[in-house]
Amino acid sequence: MNMDASATLLSSGSGGRGLHRFANPGRFLRLSGKVLPWLAAFALVLTLIGLGWGLFFAPADWQQGDAVRIMYIHVPAAWLASSGYLGLAICSVLSLVWRHPLADLAAMEIGPVGAGATFLCLATGSLWGKPMWGAWWVWDARLTSVLVLFFLYLGHIALVRAFDSPERGARAGAILALVGVVNLPIIKFSVDWWNTLHQPASISFTGSPTMYVGMLWPLLFSALGMTFGFAAIVVARTRAGVMERRIRGLLLARAQQEAGARLEAAAS
Amino acid sequence: MTHLTYISAAYGLAVVVAGWFAVDAWLRMGRARKRLAAIDPRARR
Amino acid sequence: MMTRKRRRLIVLLVCGLGLGSAAGLSLWALSSDVAFFTSPTELVQHPPGPDRVFRLGGLVEAGSVKRGDAGGKPTASFRVTDGAATVAVNFVGLLPDLFREGQGIVALGSLAPDGSFRAQEVLAKHDETYMPKEVAEALKKSGHWNPEKGAPPPASTWNTMAVPAKDAKADDTKAGG
Repeated sequence: MNMDASATLLSSGSGGRGLHRFANPGRFLRLSGKVLPWLAAFALVLTLIGLGWGLFFAPADWQQGDAVRIMYIHVPAAWLASSGYLGLAICSVLSLVWRHPLADLAAMEIGPVGAGATFLCLATGSLWGKPMWGAWWVWDARLTSVLVLFFLYLGHIALVRAFDSPERGARAGAILALVGVVNLPIIKFSVDWWNTLHQPASISFTGSPTMYVGMLWPLLFSALGMTFGFAAIVVARTRAGVMERRIRGLLLARAQQEAGARLEAAAS
Repeated sequence: MTHLTYISAAYGLAVVVAGWFAVDAWLRMGRARKRLAAIDPRARR
Repeated sequence: MMTRKRRRLIVLLVCGLGLGSAAGLSLWALSSDVAFFTSPTELVQHPPGPDRVFRLGGLVEAGSVKRGDAGGKPTASFRVTDGAATVAVNFVGLLPDLFREGQGIVALGSLAPDGSFRAQEVLAKHDETYMPKEVAEALKKSGHWNPEKGAPPPASTWNTMAVPAKDAKADDTKAGG
């Protein structure tokens, strides 16, 4: 209650709807503080199991040999690149329609992490493509659309930080993020709609996975672990973002107070 | 193991990228917590 | 009475619908440019002009590969098929490791006057199946699959197949898989 009251005071300068604006971040800090250690622990354990299994115990592919082990990083990174962007888009809707105060901060923090996952996906894909396909890079629909995703992330990172007012930055970023959602189905279905060098998906909701179980399990462990890791990093960054915003608010309030006191002293 | 250079490059890159993001988030959180505690006595919990 | 939130939501949905259909239509119109390669059938139906560089994609026909040597450089000639049409391909250089009969390939090059394809670069296009050597051997031995002739049988017939233990010490740990 105490915190909410001070928050109301702080935010009254910028926007008005004070109580609502800071009440949620306060609750977020308490809740995320409890969840974060568990997220991080699950992430570490599951990823280590998945990658260790994939690297040392899973069978090699009959024609790709051991190069197939790059899959245990490449595929989870690719899934996270797309689902991270979906998270960014959901935050953008919450921000644009409901003006949710946490959504802006979360979107700002998802951007760099998603860009990191997309970079990892592109780089490991390149390292896989050279020995298997015979090329580091080709301009087929799948590779190009994932590169566009990477640029969308970079654009979002730059745009949300380009304005003096964080609110305007968040709004511009949210619009860019939502326009970019068009790219997600293109990435997913590029390998089905057009002919590409990249192979179609091995794991689908409808059919049996075209992958041996001994390779599927480590992939699932690694994907689950890396998803937890992505979430843990985003939560940690958002916690930092919430605290940093509160610091800015407090410093601003203190400066205003001091200026006010000085004015009063001068007048009397 | 076949294609060892490609595999170790991919795994090494994953460790570097993930590690960098994790350490950066951790340090940033610690800095913000300390700073907040210094200027807002009520935030000390 | 419409609240502001509701109005913003509707504006967003309408914008999304417009943007989505615009993107869909333009991709539809551009679909032939988005395609990475031309199939042998498309090549026969709409042959590109001589010396126009394009990508040809398809499967390496079983029994068609002839490897040679031209002044110290490896050469290969083979036929690429999509089931309906077939194109002869000539290539000088190193083929990717995954190149084999029955494998998908994408070759960059142009048509020679005799209608064959002169490749400057050959890339291997593997499919979405991943299986251990033992499973592939078992499928080949039982006659369910000849990798040179086409795609493997439905995944559900092999993706949980028990792998015959080849060396015991490596297999102990992956029994749970």
